[in-house]
Amino acid sequence: MASTSLSTPLPLPPPHPPTSSALALAHLTQEEHDALQAAVFQRLHPRLYLERYVSERVRPDARLFGEGRGVSVDVGSISTADGSALVRMGETTVVCGVKAEIAEPELDRESLGFLVPNLDLTAMCSPKFKPGPPTEEAQVLSDRLNHALITSNFVSLESLCIHPGKAVWVLYVDATCVNYDGNAFDATLLAMVAALRNTTLPQATYDPETNRTVCSRRLPRVPLQLAKSTPISTSFGIFDSKYVLLDPTAFEEPLLDTSLSIVLGDEGDIVSVAQVGSLVVSVSEGEGEGGEEVRKDVLAECIASAKLRRAEVVDALNVT
Amino acid sequence: MASDTRQDKRKHNEIREIRISYDGLARVDGSARFGFGMPVTPGDTAALASISGPIEVRLAAELPSKATFEVLVRPLSNVPATEAKSLAASIRSTLEPSLILTKNPRTLVQLVVQSLSPPRDALSLSAAMVNASSLALLKASSVPMKGVVAAVAVGQLSSGALVLDPSDEAEVVKGGGVFAFMFADGIGLNDSNTDCLWTSWKSTLGRYDEKELVAARELAREGAQEVYTAMRKSFEHSGEMGVNTNDEEDDDKMEI
Repeated sequence: MASTSLSTPLPLPPPHPPTSSALALAHLTQEEHDALQAAVFQRLHPRLYLERYVSERVRPDARLFGEGRGVSVDVGSISTADGSALVRMGETTVVCGVKAEIAEPELDRESLGFLVPNLDLTAMCSPKFKPGPPTEEAQVLSDRLNHALITSNFVSLESLCIHPGKAVWVLYVDATCVNYDGNAFDATLLAMVAALRNTTLPQATYDPETNRTVCSRRLPRVPLQLAKSTPISTSFGIFDSKYVLLDPTAFEEPLLDTSLSIVLGDEGDIVSVAQVGSLVVSVSEGEGEGGEEVRKDVLAECIASAKLRRAEVVDALNVT
Repeated sequence: MASDTRQDKRKHNEIREIRISYDGLARVDGSARFGFGMPVTPGDTAALASISGPIEVRLAAELPSKATFEVLVRPLSNVPATEAKSLAASIRSTLEPSLILTKNPRTLVQLVVQSLSPPRDALSLSAAMVNASSLALLKASSVPMKGVVAAVAVGQLSSGALVLDPSDEAEVVKGGGVFAFMFADGIGLNDSNTDCLWTSWKSTLGRYDEKELVAARELAREGAQEVYTAMRKSFEHSGEMGVNTNDEEDDDKMEI
């Protein structure tokens, strides 16, 4: 009713009560009102919103392009798991627990144990996800995490052997995202690495006579044999073929043309580089607006920046 | 030096013979088969891709400003599992920059890729899948494109030497990866407009340096160029497709 009376010009508009939204906004201060307007703008025009920020060389959460979010790692908080960790990367929070079980090895790999990483993106961590079977995103992330842990040889599968052909350890590395704010891959890999570092196994022996494996109650639990080099991932996104954003948030992620994840080991070794989309960005050379647009490949820059970020993350990991 | 030579006596930068055919699947808009190596040889790697679209989209997947691009990967045996999903996601994001999806909003472009080889050489297989998909897209010529994506795998022998188009696990002992490039002809510059769209380089020993990665990428660029040339040639020779081929080329030129 209100809208029709507004659109038809009347000689004497009937006095009508203020609309409900105007009422709701009446008590807001100017500052709150501006914040609300910005939030509405962000929701309706996400791309334009981000463009406005990056053209000022800053991101919506006040970070610079090459700046990661703060990282904190807490280990051993889940007492029922054999090893656990909680990682926060900005608002993104991932909990990871390691559960060890004994299983028979595969016939053709009789002295290799199993490592089964999995990530759950539950409905509670973001409105993006719905309850039900794992989404495609979760499956893709789990597969990438599996590859990252396997290719980096972080856990030697040989060391999980109890008795060749009879009994080996299976490590279920289950991660759950508690709060999703982008870059789940980096946060989860870190959580998994921290949880594996925290994991201890009971000393087990296989008895060929009874055909059973026995875990000792008396002997102390032993930590896993892990590689010296810790795989740490750093992800980048490229926005508008121009801006390279380190550690993208959930708001930035869907707007990116390119994503790049670099997994680094100690001493700057590269474990894996996964890139989709073009890494060629156009940058303006020279000063100010008059600069000439030059296209260049940013892979080398990203690797250098990943090395710096890795050092930050490793510091957070070693505090625990 | 013995470890530098390859089992099938190829040179380090030599790809297997490329086999392309358009034995059309009747009920889709376009389909193509792409293979590295001849079908009878034990080390052949092939994939079959089909395109349907633009077709009606499920309400849940509808996008108001562009077409939904869906990729399904079917392994040779078993039902698609996590690995196939992950590969499908990679293929999807590799091909997406080459498509102009904004021309057909609220529709679906569906790509189905069927593996025709056992996953003995997973890297080359993913490259063959990308190539087959590109060809199917060209053959269908129902989705406007900015360029053509060609992919090739690179492996690293135990000696550290890089080899193009690894045909079995022995050739990716130290590491390996797939590289995809987009080729956009029509503006004259032949190599400056090959954009690398997909890199997945992994080292099995957990270490390599930047130089190796760049070397592998350059080797792959050469190989992808060769694949692209073969793709072009196959299209020029497939007589019945003459008209569509020209349309496609025109699209290329206009959109760049």
